[in-house]
Amino acid sequence: MSNRKKVLLKVIVLGDSGVGKTCLMNQFVSKKFTNQYKATIGADFQTKEVMVDNKLITLQIWDTAGQERFQSLGVGFYRGADCCVLVYDVTSPTTFKSLESWRDEFLIQSSPKDPENFPFVVIGNKIDLENRSITTKRAQSWCQSKNNIPYFEVSAKEALHVDEAFATVARNAQAQENEVELYNEFPDQIKLSPLPTSSSRQDNCGC
Amino acid sequence: MPATPLTPGEDQEKLLDDAVAVVKVQAFQMKRMLDKDKLMDALKHASNMLGELRTALLSPKNYYELYMAVTTELCHLEIYLLDEVDEHKGRKMSDLYELVQYAGNIIPRLYLLITVGLVYMRAHPGSRKDILKDLVEMCRGVQHPLRGLFLRNYLLQCTRNVLPDSDGVEDTQNPQNPLSPDARDGLLMYTRESEIGMPGTVKDSVDFVLANFGEMNKLWVRMQHQGHSRDRERREKERQELRLLVGTNLVRLSQLDAVNLDRYKKMVLPGILEQVVSCRDPIAQEYLMECIIQVFPDEFHLQTLQSFLKSCAELRQQVNVKTVIISLIERLAAYATRVDGPGIPANIPLFEIFSEQISTIIQSREEMPSQDIIALQVALVNLAIKCYKDRIDYIDLVLNKTAEIFARQGIKSVQSDTPVGKEMLKLLRMPVDTYNDVITLLKLENLVSCLDMLDVKGRKTMAILIANNMIDNETKLTTTDQVNTVLSKLLDVLIQAEGESLDSVDIEDFVEEQNLVARLISLMQSDSPDDQYSILNSARKLLANGGPDRIRFTLPTIVFQFLQLAGRYSQIREEDEKWSKKVAKIFQHVHQTISALTKAEGCSADLTLRLYLEAAQAADRIDFADHETVAYEFLSQAFSLLEEEVSDSKAQLAAITLIIGTLQQMSCFSEESHAPLRNQCALVAANLLKKPDQCRAVSTCAHVFWSGKTNSGQELRDGKRVAECLKKGLRFASQCMDSGVQAQLFCELLNSYVYFFEKGNVEHIKVDTLNQLIAKIKELMPTVEKCDEVEQIQAHFERTLERLSSKKGEPLYEGLTL
Repeated sequence: MSNRKKVLLKVIVLGDSGVGKTCLMNQFVSKKFTNQYKATIGADFQTKEVMVDNKLITLQIWDTAGQERFQSLGVGFYRGADCCVLVYDVTSPTTFKSLESWRDEFLIQSSPKDPENFPFVVIGNKIDLENRSITTKRAQSWCQSKNNIPYFEVSAKEALHVDEAFATVARNAQAQENEVELYNEFPDQIKLSPLPTSSSRQDNCGC
Repeated sequence: MPATPLTPGEDQEKLLDDAVAVVKVQAFQMKRMLDKDKLMDALKHASNMLGELRTALLSPKNYYELYMAVTTELCHLEIYLLDEVDEHKGRKMSDLYELVQYAGNIIPRLYLLITVGLVYMRAHPGSRKDILKDLVEMCRGVQHPLRGLFLRNYLLQCTRNVLPDSDGVEDTQNPQNPLSPDARDGLLMYTRESEIGMPGTVKDSVDFVLANFGEMNKLWVRMQHQGHSRDRERREKERQELRLLVGTNLVRLSQLDAVNLDRYKKMVLPGILEQVVSCRDPIAQEYLMECIIQVFPDEFHLQTLQSFLKSCAELRQQVNVKTVIISLIERLAAYATRVDGPGIPANIPLFEIFSEQISTIIQSREEMPSQDIIALQVALVNLAIKCYKDRIDYIDLVLNKTAEIFARQGIKSVQSDTPVGKEMLKLLRMPVDTYNDVITLLKLENLVSCLDMLDVKGRKTMAILIANNMIDNETKLTTTDQVNTVLSKLLDVLIQAEGESLDSVDIEDFVEEQNLVARLISLMQSDSPDDQYSILNSARKLLANGGPDRIRFTLPTIVFQFLQLAGRYSQIREEDEKWSKKVAKIFQHVHQTISALTKAEGCSADLTLRLYLEAAQAADRIDFADHETVAYEFLSQAFSLLEEEVSDSKAQLAAITLIIGTLQQMSCFSEESHAPLRNQCALVAANLLKKPDQCRAVSTCAHVFWSGKTNSGQELRDGKRVAECLKKGLRFASQCMDSGVQAQLFCELLNSYVYFFEKGNVEHIKVDTLNQLIAKIKELMPTVEKCDEVEQIQAHFERTLERLSSKKGEPLYEGLTL
């Protein structure tokens, strides 16, 4: 599988409501920004191709709702993620404090093979605003305490450092995937019997 | 067919695991075939994988997991196909289509068709309009709610980046070849159309999403009406879980850049609202209205309030419209206060629109619970405060409406611990917490009528809130009107005593409340002494109604404020020629106030006695006409209180000590007045009940005869009377039975003797007297039983002797024997 030309990597973007997850993704994927606030409900992905170390990678970036009440179907989309981006707003201390619980929640729900070394990237957004309340130092020291998570300060509005942040996301996600591939080279079982289907109790409906 | 058959949790887990295992195997095979460029085989495995989505046994959440697993794998197919199209442009879509036909079942076929359609649209943007239209039609083939919802969600997910999003007017030169309606499986046609076709405009995208939205909503609503009624609860829970899929349509619409305000107003919102209102399903209506609020920007909402709110009035009675409207108000309020935002445009009368529409909504919904109605008023006040902080009249208007609503419903009183009462308290406390200024509150003409609607407990809560707010913000009441209104309208429940019984009142709470009222009095301050006079007078009259239990907490503060005011008049005597008369009047009020307190049951004589003495001292200091008479009156009142009201001997001693101390400090009396007062002190002192008390009181009294002053300015220096007092003291001491107490009293007396001796009373105090007293104590000490107290007495005595021995050499002390 690893010899296929293209690699597809899944990235989950998490963080409190209003920190700018959607804006960040729109800036990265389509170089667009709007100041209008539209809440995200559920989860929605966009794809973007990037070159990392001479390799073409397709990033499937999942933008998620920061408000839990909008995740009515649960967080099944965490599964199979290759990297998780934690976003906070540098002008809002509560969003910074929430990083911890977003990280924990992600690790619990996605249950990766090696939680200790699962790649996270932390992004502090809105550095274009003046009323900043979390210092770079404080954010960095939190990231260091969590097994050296890479940390970026960006402005989705002014397209500052967004690409750099996602380049690191892609690189670390790929490193993660290479490792996982070792485990997943073959799925659990291969049945050669004709057309396996899981449930024998299908209803008679034709669809 | 029921939405989902009842399958217990464990079964569900196993079903999901099995299905996911099949997906893994088939996906693996699919990817292997793709690597080998065997598209046909890959499609076969993809179809097998997709077959798992045909299940009807999984719950929504589990089906979602399975769907995620499947669609993630489908991405690999999509990427492969895109490459194919890129590399050999020649590869015919018809070939692909035929391969897709390989899937025998409709679910796999449609998923594959969507995937292929997406690839085609990417490669041939000109085909978008038709393919989108076709795909959204074809999905009608699945009418099972759960499977249909997810299938259409896949359609939405895939088409995200290919939706035409341009303003461009449609190319009218090639109007031919619109897909014939019967071309159900008409992908073949696209090959003919190829590049020329119509790339479509944003209108096509809106039509596409609205069509998909309508279909999904129908599927979703239909779930409600399938299966047994006993499963209703579970069904509704499942519907709530699935709502996200329906809402995603609205998200798509909001993501279209070309949907500007004009298009939103004319095409998008009407389309959504039409579907929402006409589906007549409460769950769908409530969720989708909330969804509209969340996913579209504030700028749009501001310009479409009327139509949105009108639709709110048309929703089913079961819909909790309150939540919807509050959610909208909260959003707009947050927008108005955003630092980097432009605020509410001046041409939009936001408050008026909400106010009117909310009235309409309330009237259109007879079943709306009262607490929801009040909650809407709370939201209105919240809006007014956030967006129009200086428009206090808006808040007043809401309060007025609230009172009207209660009147219409025939509600006269609201229990504060009911849901309505809680909303009511929320409503009333908002202006208090916002303005932090009780003077502003007074401008709310309807506040009082709303407060009066609450029960006693609720009114108390509000009164305490307001009082604390005044204290925290040091809000001064500067006019009589303000004082009257605040005390009699806002805080009446704290100061009135009409027909209440305090039996059921928590005494600690009560004391705290009354102390709070007392603290408010010091906030009543006018720059003009005359105004201050009438303020205090009004406050006094109002507080006096509070009954004996309250006035003992509140009136003392009034007394002190009056005394302070008298001092102010004295300072401005140059400016106000009537000052003396005014001060005299003030002291009259002080007198009345204290005597009211003396009559109040439960008010301690200790308190009133001290007040009299305070007043006496104040009258002494301020030399208005007649101040001597006034001071005399206060002192004599203190004496009568002592005699009539103080019965405990300890308290009596304390009281006479206070009186003696006060008199000794005063200097306004002529000899004629002073003599009876000091003699009375000596008399009362000598007539106390217990010997030690008598002894101490008379020796204290000696000071009045020595350093007390008349209005001549001279100290009395009556050495003879001093000596008499001390001698009486000796007599009382020697009458004590307890030798320890006796020794203590003698020791204290020795100190008094030494004091007056050194002060110069040598005519009546001789060294001999000292010698005798010292000898007496020395003789007494060994007979005293040992205890801590004795050690203290001993130490006291020794220190006294030490002092004397250091002075022994002085001529004054000649003949002293230690």
